[in-house]
Amino acid sequence: MRDRRPLFLMTPALAWLTAFMVVPCLLILALAFFRRGLYGGIDYTLTWENIALVFDPLYAGIFLKSAWIAGLSALIAVILGYAAAYAIAAMPRRHQPLLLFFAVLPFWSNYLVRTYAWIVLLNREGLIVHLARLLGFEGELPRMLYTETAVVIGLVYNYLPFVILACYAPLSRLNPEVTEASRDLGASPWTTFRRVVLPMTVPGIATGFTFVFVLSIGNFVTPALLGGGQFQMIGNLVYAQFLTANDWPFGAALSIFLIAIMMGLLTLQTFASEKASGGRNA
Amino acid sequence: MTLLSLLSLQKDFGKMRAVNGVSLDIAENEFFALLGASGSGKTTLLRMLAGFELPSAGQILLDGRDIAQTPPNKRPVNLMFQSYALFPHMSVAKNIAYGLEMEKLPKSEITSRVGEILETIQLSALANRKPDQLSGGQRQRVALARALVKRPRLLLLDEPLGALDKKLRGEMQLELKRIQADFGITFIVVTHDQEEALVMADRIAILKDGALLQVGTPHDIYEHPTSRFAADFIGVMNFFPVHCDGGALRTGKGTLIRATIPDGLTGAAVAAVRPERLRLEVTGCDNILTGRVMALAYHGLDLLLHVETPLAPQPVTIRLTADQAEAHALSPGDPVTLGWSARDTRVFAA
Repeated sequence: MRDRRPLFLMTPALAWLTAFMVVPCLLILALAFFRRGLYGGIDYTLTWENIALVFDPLYAGIFLKSAWIAGLSALIAVILGYAAAYAIAAMPRRHQPLLLFFAVLPFWSNYLVRTYAWIVLLNREGLIVHLARLLGFEGELPRMLYTETAVVIGLVYNYLPFVILACYAPLSRLNPEVTEASRDLGASPWTTFRRVVLPMTVPGIATGFTFVFVLSIGNFVTPALLGGGQFQMIGNLVYAQFLTANDWPFGAALSIFLIAIMMGLLTLQTFASEKASGGRNA
Repeated sequence: MTLLSLLSLQKDFGKMRAVNGVSLDIAENEFFALLGASGSGKTTLLRMLAGFELPSAGQILLDGRDIAQTPPNKRPVNLMFQSYALFPHMSVAKNIAYGLEMEKLPKSEITSRVGEILETIQLSALANRKPDQLSGGQRQRVALARALVKRPRLLLLDEPLGALDKKLRGEMQLELKRIQADFGITFIVVTHDQEEALVMADRIAILKDGALLQVGTPHDIYEHPTSRFAADFIGVMNFFPVHCDGGALRTGKGTLIRATIPDGLTGAAVAAVRPERLRLEVTGCDNILTGRVMALAYHGLDLLLHVETPLAPQPVTIRLTADQAEAHALSPGDPVTLGWSARDTRVFAA
């Protein structure tokens, strides 16, 4: 007989998730197929209009732009984070917990505060400009705040600790004899990295990348603060539909596509790490 | 012909001297064992040979060329790791091919050499398996094949049989010896298991505190240990505390022990004799001693008798064949008389 007690322990969490996550998601799904009422309410007649509107070049373009910014942020975060995780894993064991603590430290401070800090840094009269003047730079610096670059910087900065943790896990588990074996068999340090270390740590990279991508593509705080009013990502668009345009059905339709993209990626990532961890112990 | 010469090799980790002035010649085609307890420096010595540690002083001459500073990937030396260190993301065949790919050999040659060695280790059927789908014994053979396929001048094996169960270990001892002879490659095995070293090696070096204590054939090491430590470390040895005075050995109780005494030895010493050299039929024995049976340890093939005697603080161990044991039918508490010859007695400074 299988023990059913674990099921009992899961019930409160499952109930919570069902009530406050699954049900609202289903409501959003349903909402997407109704018409917007005249004064912002909902007109309960079925329609495909909202779904079709998502594919309008204007909105599809915002989707693509968001995906581009999220992808770029994820790529940069993975490169920086992997390098940092590699360095930490190469340090003496006893120093590693402290280094990880420092790497993750920014994460424990308020998201808004951290993002505002970047405004102070990137401002026209900000710290970076002052620093450049101090170093004798005379000319006009290109505008930094309220650009796509600023948004990418903000996203990378915010999610970097996650990537470091995700990459550190497989790197620290690596048996040092495995990399030595590669060297012993005639491989250079670079070949050893490319053919042994990197493939064995792909699950960490996939987790880190997916994480940053998923959190970035739906983000609306960072683009709003660091992108200014200049451009919109899907998060901002959804926010606007629900809270300013009062077009809940279209907001719902956008959300569904956003959720679908995220779910697709997470599923892919889970399969990828499952496959890669098939042979972890040699 | 000498293949490998170590000249005053030394390795310091901070204040700790892990390897201390090791000089050693190893001949081509030799099966050599580095034997020592943990902390004896044997693994550090092996890692210097492989290129993972740089010596603090001294030279490593391979075919007359100093390779002490050569990186591991540029040495004609391969190491079979204690953990086997197989690449978990590659199949058995890919693992074995890896070292050959690094040599940039043509594809056809790699395929044929991998196929050949898979035959030798009888794992052709499992070529496409991943390491985690293999048993411990199979993984061990893949690790061996992966190092051997490169046809190194020197193959290093770090505790090669340590992770195997006892029965498999016995089989693999012979298998390793056969493979070494077939390939004609010099093997250096690091082990803490003295029985393993005795069975496999042509010559053994005993390491203690980073220095060589004794180098010799298994027979030399077992029958003619040059120090009390070596005598104690290899096999079982009975020790009797004695005093050496004017060419005679006497125990604390005044009993004379007949033995060949090393030149220049005086004062406190120990006389030593192996359990299989002790006899219950004492006629014609140079040394005779009486005691009481403390315990019997049955081993199937033979029987170890532990005898309490006034001459030694530890019980004296005597080894009897099954026939002898049956003939004497001893049980705990019985009085016994033991004898051995002067020829079988070794004497060391205490």
